[in-house]
Amino acid sequence: MSTPTSADVVVIGSGICGALAACRLAQQGLSVLILEAGPRIDRGRIVAAFRNSTRRGDWMSPYPFSPWAPQPEYKPRDNGYLVQAGPYPYPAEYIRVVGGTTWHWAAQAWRLVPNDVRIKSLYDVGVDWPITYDELDAWYQEAEEILGVAGADNTGSPRKHPFPMQPVAEPWSMRRFRERLAPAYAVVANTVARNSRSYDGRPACVGNNSCQPICPVNAQYLGINAVDSAEAAGAKVVPNAVVYRIEADAKGRIAAVHYYDPDKQSHRVTGKEFILAANGIESPKLLLLSATDKYPNGLANRSGMVGRNLMDHPSSSLTFYADEELWLGRGPQSPSSINTMRDGAFRAQHAAYRLDFTNISQVNAVTEDLIREGVYGPAFKQQLRWRAARQCNVKNVLEVLPHPENRITLSSEKDALGIPKPEAHYSIDEYTRRGADVSHNDFAKIAQLMGGTGLRYSLDGQFANNQHITGTLGMGNDPTKFVTDGFGRSHDHENLFCCGTGVMPTAATMNSTLTAVALALRTVEHMHPRQATTKESVARAAAETSA
Amino acid sequence: MSRGPRAAGILLAALVALAATQAVAATGPAPASSSAEVQRGHYLAVAGDCEACHTAPGGKPLAGGLPIATPVGPIFSTNITPSKQDGIGDYSLQQFSDAVRKGVRGDGKHLYPAMPYTAYAQLTDADVRAMYAYFMHGVQPVDSRPTQTHLPFPFNIRLSMAAWNLLFLDDKPFKPDPGQSVEWNRGAYLARGLTHCSTCHTPRNFMMAEKPSHALAGASLGTWFAPNITPDPESGIGNWTQQDIVDYLKTGSAPGKGQAAGPMAEAVDHSLRHLSDADLSAIAVYLKSIPARHDSNDTRAADAWGKPYADFAGLRGKALPKDPDQMTGPQLYDAYCATCHQDRGQGSFDGGLPPLFHNTATGHRNTDNLVMVMLDGIAWRTDGSGVHMPGFAQELSDQQIATLGNYLTQHFGNPAAMVTVDQVRTLRAGGASANLVLLVRVLMAIVLVIVIAIIVAIVRMIARRRHRTTSQPAP
Repeated sequence: MSTPTSADVVVIGSGICGALAACRLAQQGLSVLILEAGPRIDRGRIVAAFRNSTRRGDWMSPYPFSPWAPQPEYKPRDNGYLVQAGPYPYPAEYIRVVGGTTWHWAAQAWRLVPNDVRIKSLYDVGVDWPITYDELDAWYQEAEEILGVAGADNTGSPRKHPFPMQPVAEPWSMRRFRERLAPAYAVVANTVARNSRSYDGRPACVGNNSCQPICPVNAQYLGINAVDSAEAAGAKVVPNAVVYRIEADAKGRIAAVHYYDPDKQSHRVTGKEFILAANGIESPKLLLLSATDKYPNGLANRSGMVGRNLMDHPSSSLTFYADEELWLGRGPQSPSSINTMRDGAFRAQHAAYRLDFTNISQVNAVTEDLIREGVYGPAFKQQLRWRAARQCNVKNVLEVLPHPENRITLSSEKDALGIPKPEAHYSIDEYTRRGADVSHNDFAKIAQLMGGTGLRYSLDGQFANNQHITGTLGMGNDPTKFVTDGFGRSHDHENLFCCGTGVMPTAATMNSTLTAVALALRTVEHMHPRQATTKESVARAAAETSA
Repeated sequence: MSRGPRAAGILLAALVALAATQAVAATGPAPASSSAEVQRGHYLAVAGDCEACHTAPGGKPLAGGLPIATPVGPIFSTNITPSKQDGIGDYSLQQFSDAVRKGVRGDGKHLYPAMPYTAYAQLTDADVRAMYAYFMHGVQPVDSRPTQTHLPFPFNIRLSMAAWNLLFLDDKPFKPDPGQSVEWNRGAYLARGLTHCSTCHTPRNFMMAEKPSHALAGASLGTWFAPNITPDPESGIGNWTQQDIVDYLKTGSAPGKGQAAGPMAEAVDHSLRHLSDADLSAIAVYLKSIPARHDSNDTRAADAWGKPYADFAGLRGKALPKDPDQMTGPQLYDAYCATCHQDRGQGSFDGGLPPLFHNTATGHRNTDNLVMVMLDGIAWRTDGSGVHMPGFAQELSDQQIATLGNYLTQHFGNPAAMVTVDQVRTLRAGGASANLVLLVRVLMAIVLVIVIAIIVAIVRMIARRRHRTTSQPAP
């Protein structure tokens, strides 16, 4: 079969957003071509590679590295793909394969809280979104029904219809947190795209506790499920197609994209419409790479904001031993959290945050600690058992504000195909650090309520990154200040649309995937509205499901 | 997954291409009517599993349209709702009875034996009356005409079925055996009749009729294999307790023995799990009483093989082979099975995820079901439980399934049982096909030649006789 060189819609990136957008358009009868820089991979081989890995805690280790589609890796050492310009390190991780980075997400599928889209008006920080939470509700619902999402009702995110399913059974450890922290804290089930029952032909979670790096049974929704749906609807996927230039015509419309195959043969693909869905780092990189004499700052960059306002969620944490056996590791990795600090008048002063409990098995971490401490023999066995049963961890998930100087630029370094690497300029401001300080009071109180001993706070001023790459293609109505309009369309090129976390104007406190998916569904609806009857029947089906 | 083999039944069952059709999205039993007879008829219709075949994927219950794939073309199930224009709304009790028990439809034409009327022939008059009441008053009429069946010559001559019926249809209703208990008689009535066990589990002769001498001794359906369920302790299920059988029919699982997959999972899901405990016990009593059928190749019960086993020591820290077909049994097990069936094949602590040893899935000499379950997985459509086991048809190659299958039988099951790449390829493609059309046309040609030969012979004989007569001098 020869590779198509033209389609109604060309989608760059086969992650969850690009693939779901492609699926929707293909279902409407459009010809859709998805270009993916990385190769196809197989779940079972990733499972086997994970089990065989000597670095179980490194969630990138089971995934293949393709020289033509490099991805940032930091273990055993930084591979230097995401160049760090500082002042604060931004070690973002993503996977360049068919299906994208959700291959190893923990399936947290959060909605915003309504005030997240109005923090400029309400608290005089950040920016307001060009849309309201109410407008998003239906798109969230549609996204949740595609992904199969469950969660608690009291997380601060109102909804008009119920979740498609009940949460996965609460693990013992989370039950003990919930019981012992009440009434000071409400510990509730996370909103997750993980099956508590068979859903859409995928089985229920059986509690392997390896959501990251890989769900071995297809119980959590991944980008690859979206790719499968898109292909079933008629979309074509071209793997190993490394897009390196987007081409605009004389009128400013996008005419074509150019990609290299692994042998650096160049191919040109034309289309009527283009969707850029290559994540919050690779998407702006591509726009910047596509600079011409007419567009010296890159495409879609009249505002100069392409790549700017880079955001994520930094976390500090507390690890301790509870005074009872919790046995983390049964059930999914991220089952429960505290959501009462996601909004409030305090947002004028410091970052909002969520508090997230890990349920990752502690056996690996404790083993590494004991080896480092030189414990061996019978003491090792005894200590391993004692610590693995009691060790637990709580972390904050902090909001960061959009700052233009936090950005992705093109590095002077080049990758194997000669394409400039992305370069991260990042810092964590006082607003976010103040939020972290406040949350440390919660840490202390939680440890106290759990009878905690051996308290180990993450180092002061040191934050772990959560790989929720946000911003860089921000939505807004003013073409001089924002890259995309309220529907994700480029202000500068009428047939170029952006799908993904990049379009989010602020990062709020929740994992960004579900919001990006909801926005992507809204974008394709804007591009090609469904027939009214279809839309109504979808709405009615949703209502019936929820009835 | 199709309903095919179980229903395609008498003429074609062994040749049905199972995987070709879509799943049945049947709903549960229809709402009960007030009348006790209608309710009883509903129960009987569920026991007979009418809805499974007479409902198209995503279609209205009992409105027909499910294509049942056969080597001679698809047979489409009919609308059996009481719609007057498209269903059986105008049927008299006698017409209904003839359709169910004799395979003759309202207009007098013969049904194809995809409809298991040879089994339903056992039904008593009273039960047929109750089912008639249910179909007339307990079912919503649906005015829609499903696709009509058009089979190629000579199968389009429905009258040919009359001859077949003459040979193979015993149309006398069930007669209780006074020498047996009431429970046994109830079990025999159900198992031989409505639940039509023999449709799949009894092997067939060259005319595709069941061999009574081998009742329930096991038969291939082309893809899935319906095992021997006679009480032989090695070849059948003689080592199952009555409760094991009841559990299996009710839940699809007899812990430590085996679990239903393929068409049997569908039978449990759609039909058997809705039967009363008393009826399931009766079926079990009957099954334990039928003549045991032994195959000398079977030295041990299919669920009595294997033990916990793990072989990962050599794997850790080593890269997988680049070519997926070169993956070893332990590597494939580690990648695709261990997640649920655990490192030593022991399953989950509560049995929810079954062990692979002491499991008929790995213990039968015939490995077709092992291959089929790896390809298709197990899914229940109607009870809400959905996917019981994911299928790996998309992920695993023929070679990988053969390697893995042999690893499973070698360590967890019957070591003599083998899986070959050719077998996997054939099963993946829908099973061994037989060109029945060609076969029958050749047979008919031969018959025609013989008939012509006979006619010629007769004509010659007559001519000769006449010649003799005329040449003989008058007395």
